[in-house]
Amino acid sequence: MFDKILIANRGEIALRVQRACRELGIATVAVHSTADADAMHVRLADESVCIGPPPARESYLNIPALVTACEITGADAVHPGYGFLSENARFAEILEEHKITFIGPTSDHIRIMGDKIEAKETAKRLGIPVVPGSNGAVTSETEAMKVAKDMGFPVLIKAAAGGGGRGMKVAASPAELGTALATARSEAKAAFNDDAVYIEKYLQKPRHIEIQVFGDGQGNAVHLGERDCSLQRRHQKVLEESPSPALNAAQRQKIGKTVADAMRKLKYRGAGTVEFLYEDGEFYFIEMNTRLQVEHPVTEMVTGADLVLEQIRVAAGLPLSFTQEDIELKGHAIECRICAENPRDFRPSPGQITYWHPPGGLGVRVDSGVYQGYRIPPYYDSLIGKLIVYGKTRNDCLMRLRRALSEFVIDGIETTIPLFQDLVRDPDIADGIYDIHWLEKHLGMK
Amino acid sequence: MTAKDQGPKTASTEGQMIRELAELLNDTGLTEIEIEKSGLKIRVKKKISIIAAPAQAYAAAPASAPTAPAEAKQTQQPGDLSKHPGAVKSPMVGTAYRSPEPGAAAFCEVGSKVKQGDTLLIIEAMKTMNQIPAPRAGTVKAILVENAQPVEYGEPLIIIE
Repeated sequence: MFDKILIANRGEIALRVQRACRELGIATVAVHSTADADAMHVRLADESVCIGPPPARESYLNIPALVTACEITGADAVHPGYGFLSENARFAEILEEHKITFIGPTSDHIRIMGDKIEAKETAKRLGIPVVPGSNGAVTSETEAMKVAKDMGFPVLIKAAAGGGGRGMKVAASPAELGTALATARSEAKAAFNDDAVYIEKYLQKPRHIEIQVFGDGQGNAVHLGERDCSLQRRHQKVLEESPSPALNAAQRQKIGKTVADAMRKLKYRGAGTVEFLYEDGEFYFIEMNTRLQVEHPVTEMVTGADLVLEQIRVAAGLPLSFTQEDIELKGHAIECRICAENPRDFRPSPGQITYWHPPGGLGVRVDSGVYQGYRIPPYYDSLIGKLIVYGKTRNDCLMRLRRALSEFVIDGIETTIPLFQDLVRDPDIADGIYDIHWLEKHLGMK
Repeated sequence: MTAKDQGPKTASTEGQMIRELAELLNDTGLTEIEIEKSGLKIRVKKKISIIAAPAQAYAAAPASAPTAPAEAKQTQQPGDLSKHPGAVKSPMVGTAYRSPEPGAAAFCEVGSKVKQGDTLLIIEAMKTMNQIPAPRAGTVKAILVENAQPVEYGEPLIIIE
């Protein structure tokens, strides 16, 4: 087991990792930019190292600074959290070269799933159902038109180097295809330095359902059920729940088995999430995230598993704490991503939290690194905490969520709590009837 | 950079020792004291702190943990060296070296007169040596790091006046 883990991240996920390490008796090193010197996880960690000025490029994405911080503190492993360098194959490789364990999958698997075209090919090969589309990258408008006409419009043009909802353009008809293709290419080149694009069928009203998987790197892999993350704004998840109100036990078992079998074949190591669009009873693979996800707590609540603990175990060469038979989804969990944003126009609201009173009680969990008096820096994303509630049934969970939101007080900044109070009272949400366009329609964006 | 020490003593003995060392720093005007006794090493360093006062309540919680005092983060002593107008701060995280190679003479000592651009020390990061130049001409008033000491980004290294 590791003696010392360096936490290469910030905010609530850094605190999450700090807590898991503390529970395992593993010493921690919190690296931080100058803007995060007062972060809660920095205060709680055993050691801290300032690695750079506020911009992420010079701090949290600064590989030499991170590796040096490992060297001077003697850390023997790095937990990358999510975002930042968590899916950077080069970072994983450099750490390997320095004999420091990267808590995550192998750099090969990160690379395969990082290229969205290769990820799709790999998924197909492993027996995972995919969205119908082009066979790899499309290189000409003629080719694109043929593929699109064969599948039927509307179609979606996606950047191979994209992911996470970025780099996608819809072409609703043959007339729109040329422009959409050209725009997608130039935007992809600008954002990801790679203009390779592929085409997929555009599903009209799908849900976003993802499966949490875990592999031990030795050929054993399990699935821990699904999360429904359909409520999104600009491709950013806003609220997530497990299990999905759209699936029954048989469907869950089937897709879970398909995905676990695939991960076994791949000899996948660590935590991963296989993301699908689900429509009319069919699953369509869109991408795989080779890291822990923001919404992992809802899976923890319904399965009782500690996913960060398992990541550390697997990285240290230990087997998983559970087999597939041990995994049972009990009850229901919902997570709300609380952001420092105006609840109507979502304008960021950095500043000082003058009053902080989180909810508590049975079945209520708040994962947040902020505290009263904390000044939210303007340099990073606006997520300030996650409110996760658990209930025996989905209805109990919704009642509890309503109760918890009513107790939550955050003064000094604007937050999206009012949005969640509105959602929890909406009949469609109460019935679980929503797709990936629902929230934007509700917000009047469509 | 702050580090904690694992010790077999009780929380109050160690806390007392830290308190005494901190007072010693203030009384003598020194910036750093390190003592080693029966396998226990404690280093107390003066440092700039930007911690908002109400947040101290949260820092108190971990300090009351029942096990070793190593739980309590060593809070930064109020100091003003990184705000000193003549402070040369580290542009990166790494290991500071006072001479170009082991055994060679140090780049500068207290009292050395330096020109703008003169190398003051080297910071090593991932096997590359980075020379830290004097930002202006002047006299070296204080050297705040030892040879082979790990430094973090923004840490004051040398005071030039």
